[in-house]
Amino acid sequence: MEEAQVVGQLVRRCAQGDAAAWEEIVQRFHRRIYNICYRFAGSADDAQDLTQEVFIKVYRTVGSFDGEKASFNTWVTTVTRNLLVDHFRKTRNDRATDSIDAAQGADEDGPTLADRLATDGSESPHLHVESRERREMVHRALQQISPDLREAVILRDLQDMDYREIAQVLKVPEGTVKSRINRGRAELARLLQRTYRQAL
Amino acid sequence: MLGETKPGMQCAEFDVLLTEALDGTLKGERREHFEQHRAECAACSALFAEASSGMAWLDEVEEVAPPRNLVHNILAATSGAAQQAAKAEPRASAWERTRRQVRVLFAPVMTPRFGMSMGMAFFSITLVLNMAQIRIKDLTPHNLSHTFYTSQNKMMKYYENMRLVYEIESRVRDLRNATEESESEREREEKSRHREKNSNQTQEQNQNSEPEKRDHRDYSRGLNGQLLASLNGNEQHLWNLAMQRREI
Repeated sequence: MEEAQVVGQLVRRCAQGDAAAWEEIVQRFHRRIYNICYRFAGSADDAQDLTQEVFIKVYRTVGSFDGEKASFNTWVTTVTRNLLVDHFRKTRNDRATDSIDAAQGADEDGPTLADRLATDGSESPHLHVESRERREMVHRALQQISPDLREAVILRDLQDMDYREIAQVLKVPEGTVKSRINRGRAELARLLQRTYRQAL
Repeated sequence: MLGETKPGMQCAEFDVLLTEALDGTLKGERREHFEQHRAECAACSALFAEASSGMAWLDEVEEVAPPRNLVHNILAATSGAAQQAAKAEPRASAWERTRRQVRVLFAPVMTPRFGMSMGMAFFSITLVLNMAQIRIKDLTPHNLSHTFYTSQNKMMKYYENMRLVYEIESRVRDLRNATEESESEREREEKSRHREKNSNQTQEQNQNSEPEKRDHRDYSRGLNGQLLASLNGNEQHLWNLAMQRREI
């Protein structure tokens, strides 16, 4: 039996109130949803709260899922993306304040990301440490690109969704999705190159 | 720049094909046109390089492990909570249902602003009660009724006392008026008796053909006996002397 059929059966059982089916759905999708939330929100705490919110919403609206319109994976991702957009709008002011504070702190006495990379690069030659630092740097750079580009890049490059599914989730044409992915990748590369240049 | 027209392929078309090129799915003649445009257009060439670099960076990003208690929390927040709610719902007592209804009813006033206003009002009332030396325990229904009846009793006693005082004053005033009337009547009788006596003496003098002696007191009286003026003792004496000289 295909994955989509198994998930379809689970969803039907869940809609009928089957607790075991619901637990199975949570087990299958929580890791993916958590990663989308973590990459978009940038914080593990926020990601955990948002993941719980996503599953609460899915649990309440699972009866409205129509398997003929989209796959369950696309549907759950759409729910996640909508909640993330809401969260982004709600916390816009907080993030603006945080970024100002962080910038002031960095100017005064806090080491910048480039400073840390330069220092740690000379002190820790181990590859796994460098790899971890690079991943962390990419994660931070991802938070700095615009949300439209970020969500497209996350869904494509981190979640391996195809363009048609991404277009369904973002409710935009496939051409727009591809353009956003290209611009997102390019902007990310420019940010990382700038960071490396400062470090050097 | 993107959007500009180049021979063979437009930049917008290059932008769409870029994802397929980076995915490795762009083949054949389309790939040749794509590469030709990339070689001719600096902006699209830079975009290709940056997008390719960004994609390589993103390849290093790995999936993060969610917290261990995430599944448990999700199940507790969804199915667990729903089951508990479903089990608890039929056993909800009348008191619980009433409490929920009251909570819903008072939801609009259960706000921080309303709470602050209530706090300020309570503070003001407490301050006023302290300044007026009113204790909270005096505000019980029993003590309030006791205070009311005590105050009412005091007011009635005060009113009765006032009425007694006014009555006594009225009686005293009546007695005083009665006494004054009797005294004035007695004086009037004495005066009339004295006048009769004088008139008798005058008649006797006239009968004895003696010079007329007028009562000095009658000078001050008119024809109907009304007192026009009066003299004190010294003036009366001087007047008598003057009259005697005049007669001489």
